Amino acid sequence: MSDSRNRTRTQQWRDTTIPRRPLLWLAAALLFTLPALGALASWVPFLFLFALVLKFWMEPRGYRLRSTSLKLILTALTLGAIFLSYDSLKGIEPAVSLLAVLVSLKILEAHTAREFQVMVMMAWVLCLCGFLLSQDLAIAFCLFVAFALLIAALVQFHRPATAGSPDAFWLPLAMTLKLLAQAAPVVVLLFLLFPRINTGFQFRIGDLHAARTGFSDRLFPGGIATLANSSDIAFRAEFPDNRMGPAGPKYWRGLVMWHCEGLEWRAPYAPASISDSFRQYPASDTAIRQRITIAPHGARWMFALDRPFGTPSGAMLARGNYLYSVQPIRKPRRYEVLSSTDPIGEELRPHERREALQLPASISPAVRELAASLAAHDPEPRATVASALQFFRTQGFRYSLSPGEYNKNDLEEFLFRRRTGFCEHYAASFATLMRLAGIPARVVVGYLGGEYNDLGGFYLVREADTHAWCEVWIPENGWTRIDPTSVVAPGRASLDLSSFLASRVASGEMATGRSAFLTRLARLALVNQIRFVWEALNYQWDTRVMGFDADVQDVLLTSLGLTNGGPLPLVMQVLIVIAALLIIYAGWMQLRTRPRADRVQALYERFCRKLARIGVQRDPWEGPSDFAKRAAQSFPNASEYVRQITETYIALRYAPGAAAISLDKFAKTINAFTAHK
Amino acid sequence: MKAGKFPLLYPTGSFAGLLFVLGAMWYAASSQNSPAVYLLLFGLTAVFLVSIPHTLLNLADVTIAPESAKPAFAGQEVSLPIEIMNCSRATRRGIQLVVPGRGGKRKHIDYIPAGKAARVTLRFPAKQRGEHRISTFRLTSVYPLGFVRVLKKFASSQTYLVYPKPSGDPRLPMHRARSPHSRPQTELGEGDDFAGVRAYVPGESQRHIDWKAVARGQPLMTKQFAAEAEGSVHLDFSALRFHGAEERLSQLALWVIEAERVRRPYSLRLPNTEIAPAVGEAHFHRCLRALSLFPGEEEGA
Repeated sequence: MSDSRNRTRTQQWRDTTIPRRPLLWLAAALLFTLPALGALASWVPFLFLFALVLKFWMEPRGYRLRSTSLKLILTALTLGAIFLSYDSLKGIEPAVSLLAVLVSLKILEAHTAREFQVMVMMAWVLCLCGFLLSQDLAIAFCLFVAFALLIAALVQFHRPATAGSPDAFWLPLAMTLKLLAQAAPVVVLLFLLFPRINTGFQFRIGDLHAARTGFSDRLFPGGIATLANSSDIAFRAEFPDNRMGPAGPKYWRGLVMWHCEGLEWRAPYAPASISDSFRQYPASDTAIRQRITIAPHGARWMFALDRPFGTPSGAMLARGNYLYSVQPIRKPRRYEVLSSTDPIGEELRPHERREALQLPASISPAVRELAASLAAHDPEPRATVASALQFFRTQGFRYSLSPGEYNKNDLEEFLFRRRTGFCEHYAASFATLMRLAGIPARVVVGYLGGEYNDLGGFYLVREADTHAWCEVWIPENGWTRIDPTSVVAPGRASLDLSSFLASRVASGEMATGRSAFLTRLARLALVNQIRFVWEALNYQWDTRVMGFDADVQDVLLTSLGLTNGGPLPLVMQVLIVIAALLIIYAGWMQLRTRPRADRVQALYERFCRKLARIGVQRDPWEGPSDFAKRAAQSFPNASEYVRQITETYIALRYAPGAAAISLDKFAKTINAFTAHK
Repeated sequence: MKAGKFPLLYPTGSFAGLLFVLGAMWYAASSQNSPAVYLLLFGLTAVFLVSIPHTLLNLADVTIAPESAKPAFAGQEVSLPIEIMNCSRATRRGIQLVVPGRGGKRKHIDYIPAGKAARVTLRFPAKQRGEHRISTFRLTSVYPLGFVRVLKKFASSQTYLVYPKPSGDPRLPMHRARSPHSRPQTELGEGDDFAGVRAYVPGESQRHIDWKAVARGQPLMTKQFAAEAEGSVHLDFSALRFHGAEERLSQLALWVIEAERVRRPYSLRLPNTEIAPAVGEAHFHRCLRALSLFPGEEEGA
């Protein structure tokens, strides 16, 4: 008795009806969404993975999550865990975590066909969330693979082949690829032309993209050195007029700091813009045009070579000649800007001079003495600058990534005792010395160098290339760039930081945290080539696809003259083109698969249809002559024709030497045949 | 078999889910002005759109040919073998066969290679006696993605017979109308005396084949038993004591089965038909057919 009850129980427990193969495809798709979930709290992807593995352990044993109370408890637990991880349930990351967790639970619970489809839908929403979290090419690639695998899972779910047949495994994939290939023109059409109607109801993506990367508006000792190992991309720049851009070191201006606190400098919190009347435009032939794709960094400064003078839309030119965005840069942005490498005739207005000479009170007498001695020989600013540089060159200063801890009042410590620093130490101390010597000075933070990608024709500038330098006011020249770091580390200005460091390591001048193996690997030609291809692809993705937002589309539509009638006619046109395309697909598939009936058979069938229309239907088992006899009885007045046509048909089809009868004549007879009751 | 002029195409339940997902993607894309999400949205839309012609054409040049169904007794299951022919030059996949209003499940056919046919057997419960007609067969397919379903209707005049449900008293009735030529009736069930052999008639039960003779290389012979000659059972509708016609038919069906089982000749008399005494499979089906087609108040379903 108990045995039989046990058996029914097992049977009950084994009612999972999701076949194994579609589940495998779904699992593969979910695995590909994992990289996108990397941005979430670390336990979420693990739970997700655990659920997947568990499902495959449970499935053959017929187990699944069934108790409602257990489901509720698990949901509550994970909700609590999400709240603990993020301190809130609002925002994109908790929302995506919640979705991922729900998908995990659904995996454990699902057992019916409908639930399988729900899981596929949820996985598609997960792909969507992945794109909201990250728009990096590598992750986008994974998400599109997941997207395709989900299609394969659906195809497999609809049982295209019985298990065990040879093409059973590849068939869903082949079908998916076919669908994707046919969908590609539709996607391109929709992507380029379908109006991006702005819904107006916006939701803000929480704190995710507010995470600031890169340098900040404060220059403090050790601040830039921490970025030196970052391989994050800051921006990419193209020179449309001149592939390689201007010769000489590339100083990409980021922001200008006016406020001095010794070794620490600060930029104004809300910089004033240069009004148009004070703006100087250089001769247009010396202007360098750049097209820059900036990676989101959460702050508002934008980059340009040397001295930008035009402003892209949505940006202003702040005092100190740097670009400042109206909105924080939270997503990739592409803009074109004109720059000049030559000094532009500026003037220093009195309040600017006051600001450019501001000094903290805490400067020690020794430093003041040093500044005075630098200016003592020759009060001419150029001479003072030269003697200060001479001081850095000759007094045993060393350039190092790890110069040790300094605080903002350690100027004396740096200048007289340790004499080891990274670019921020040199820029800050040099500018402070200049101000002490009575020369207006400011610190500029930006990037130096960048890696040229020959394949894509662009410079890739990384966070590691962050650099700080000075500008001093020389009356006859205006603001003049002085880079004290270049005096201490002469090779730095002509290279990006990683190449510079690599050369130093190679020549034994510097030890590095990176292992020698990695350094050697990075310098392998093949590895470099692959990296260049990948970066070029990345650049295309960011500029062509990620850059194609509603504004760019608007420009395209206007240039094509498609915006005249508003969005509705355009939508209609796009839909009509798509419908036409679908009809072409259908017609082509129909043509390719239609049975190949020979002409004699087709003509005879037409004859039979004609007879059927007037009431004599040929039965499937009925031979032509039997049918002719029956038809002749029904229509005595047409019996002669029927007999004749049938005889011709039999002769054409079955007689050995049938060529004697003309097919066209047969066709004509059949076409002419009309029977009346 | 002739199909309707155009296949019908309509959305399935999971299409609602797809709409929801597309809506979510559209909302996210437009509120974030995110090209990547737009790409995903348009990708899914486009894949769905191009799947429509695939589904639509998945039944093109697929026809069906139902074979004749074996009669079944009411309460049992009718099984109807059907051949599904793929006349096209492409493999057709994920096809389902449905007979509307028969309470049976969909029949899945995973795939039919180009120019080949698949044979499936539809099974559905036989509810009422009589001759039933299947007016339409439906082929449907949601392959490849399952968001739309294509439906092809086939008009048909396929019929099948359902015999009355046998029930009642299994004992055969006593002789009433005695024929002048027959010998006096012996007792029931005594038809075991071997009386010779005769040539086997195809369709007869194999129970009485003289297998020993077959083993000796002789043709198939049927052994005859004495009881067969002893007189036949007369099954008379109007002689039954029941009131309801259905009950009488059930009783008669049971007796026909019993008489056939003991291989005793039986005749059947209904108000409108009379079948002379005989035994054998053809006779058996003839009688049951007559019972099944007997006009009654419940006929015609």
